[in-house]
Amino acid sequence: MQILDTPEYRQFREQCSDWLHENTPKEIRPPEGEAMRQFDLQWQRKQYEGGWAGVSWPKEYGGRGLSVFEQLVWHEEYARAGGPPSGSMFVALSHAGPTLIVCGTEEQRSQYLPPILKGEENWCQGFSEPGAGSDLASLKCKAVIDGDELVVNGTKIWTSYGHLATRQELLVRTDPNEAKHRGITWVICDMDSPGIDIRPIKAMSGLTHFAQIFYDDVRIPLSNVVGEVNQGWKTTMSTLGFERGTGTIPHQMELSKKVNELIEIAIELSAKQSAGELIDLDITMAELAQLKAEAAALRSLTAAQVARGATQEVPGPEGNIVALYFGELTRRVHAATVELLGASGLLRDQAHNYPVEYLESFKWAIGGGTSEIRRNVIAERILGMPKTKLSV
Amino acid sequence: MIVNYETTEEQSLIQSSVSSLLSEKLPVDRLREVGHYFGAVEQSIWDDLVGIGLFGLGLSEQQGGIGYTLLEEIMTIFAMGENLVSVNLLAQMIAIHLAEDKDTLQRLMAGEAKASLLAVTDPQTAWLIDGDQATHVVILSDGLALQTIDQFTAASSAELIDETVSNKVIKHEFPPLPRSEHSDRLSLYCSAYLAGMAKATTEMAVAYANTREQFGHPISAFQALKHSCADMHVRAEAASSQTLYAATTFNLNDESTRITETACSRLLAQQAAFTNAKANIQIHGGMGFTAECDAHLYLKRAHVLSILGSSRLGERERILKGK
Repeated sequence: MQILDTPEYRQFREQCSDWLHENTPKEIRPPEGEAMRQFDLQWQRKQYEGGWAGVSWPKEYGGRGLSVFEQLVWHEEYARAGGPPSGSMFVALSHAGPTLIVCGTEEQRSQYLPPILKGEENWCQGFSEPGAGSDLASLKCKAVIDGDELVVNGTKIWTSYGHLATRQELLVRTDPNEAKHRGITWVICDMDSPGIDIRPIKAMSGLTHFAQIFYDDVRIPLSNVVGEVNQGWKTTMSTLGFERGTGTIPHQMELSKKVNELIEIAIELSAKQSAGELIDLDITMAELAQLKAEAAALRSLTAAQVARGATQEVPGPEGNIVALYFGELTRRVHAATVELLGASGLLRDQAHNYPVEYLESFKWAIGGGTSEIRRNVIAERILGMPKTKLSV
Repeated sequence: MIVNYETTEEQSLIQSSVSSLLSEKLPVDRLREVGHYFGAVEQSIWDDLVGIGLFGLGLSEQQGGIGYTLLEEIMTIFAMGENLVSVNLLAQMIAIHLAEDKDTLQRLMAGEAKASLLAVTDPQTAWLIDGDQATHVVILSDGLALQTIDQFTAASSAELIDETVSNKVIKHEFPPLPRSEHSDRLSLYCSAYLAGMAKATTEMAVAYANTREQFGHPISAFQALKHSCADMHVRAEAASSQTLYAATTFNLNDESTRITETACSRLLAQQAAFTNAKANIQIHGGMGFTAECDAHLYLKRAHVLSILGSSRLGERERILKGK
């Protein structure tokens, strides 16, 4: 265990920092809708033109091919420069693209990867259904083979940016006789296909970031299948090998920033108090110190996970530790911000919009894997405790 | 700063050789016998502890030490917490960093001079922990000071919540000592010890849950217990990861960052040790409540650690203010 501090890393850091400070968008990112999508695509295009598209993608597929520690440096400098979230480009860059890299055919890769890197196309994920959330393998969206096409009927929900995406990574059940994860196919779906009905869903924050999607005899060419028909679960699992612990770094860095912001707010507020310093009041101090300590631990856990990513052949279940810790901590940090500000913390139209950020933060313990499921995985796959079977 | 958590071969060797020795010669179940309290078994294997290079491990060769760093010291301390080793070992390790003359240093490294912690509780009182064999004391008063024991005479014994630890009350004038880098070093030692405890209690809870059967299957199949154990594991990992980070960056950080990172480690490790000890007792059910079950030992020792150069307010102030 050691500090990595070579001239090469320092030089690389400077390179990242110089380019990011020069090129990070100065305009405020639109909070939702098509304007937000265009912002995300344009920023992606700019990164592509600067040679920074696909930092974690192998060079042979148009990426930068950075090592995990170089990715760590990039993400640190990105956060320092105030880089915007990848937003509606997230699925394409972190999930769909990598899946095509690992499991796609040459034609699929040459057709779909360049538009992602260039910021021409973005993707969404058609996985969860109203009846299949934590129990994803029980999905029911049906696809029947008709000639050289799949005919899809069913519905997907919680599709982030489903209403703003060019394409979708879609999981369908192609063999109704096979239960659970057998009989599932991973297929590329064009979001402008006839028969697709997209209904955006408003979150409790007031923002609309995801949608329910209905498929009514939607026809998809068989050549859009990634991997084999009925082997979609295998395709999905293989993508997990791509995630080397660096995906959470931007969120972790933003959260550390948020905690420091929170402490500054407390200091500012205390300056306005007449009776003593708010920062010295036991309750506030205890809470802020706790959040700061946990933000530091999150940073440390993330770094530990990156090291695993650099050395493990196949990523293990430890990523759930970081995700669980982040999900719980971010909710508490945002709650603390609103509570600390008292009445003004409830105002929606401020520069920071704390109420919206706070309400949005609830998703982190739910989406991508609930905290409860993550605890199950930690208990079963790390601690060796048995699966829970309910007696009927 | 890029911190690479991959342990080097040397580090793995140091860590495993210490943890093997401790599991073999200082297993936690030694504390079931009164005769093994107060660091007695540690005294009986003192030569082994000296021989394995614990004392002076993190002192530079230039200063007369073995030449590794704080990080390697921390790596050996996790196992000390797992086995509830006497804090005399921590006292000995920090004493070596405090020693100002060569003779004292050499005697401490050879184990001829023996240090114990003397924790100041008020300006005229301090508690000597496991000090039966001590020739030297490390005064803990925000700042630290190494002194010979002769000027201190024990007024009385005062039994603590932790029956396995001896406590002698010393009456003396203890002027406040300013915090120093050594205070943070010792605090990280304590953090590693506490993180080790948090890990041991997790393992103990899981092992018990996997064997205890009720309603026709091991109780580890119940989700409430799985979640409790998952949270214990995460807490222990957070504490150890943070402590390792603070130790790795110790000398690179400016003073205020060093103080903050240390305090973050101590706060989280203390909480992890407490919370996990309590959860471990709970998971053991009726057995957990007995003196016979080892679970209570971890709870009680966590309380002792909580007053060694630390306080609830102190850690939080250091986190927020960096001083």
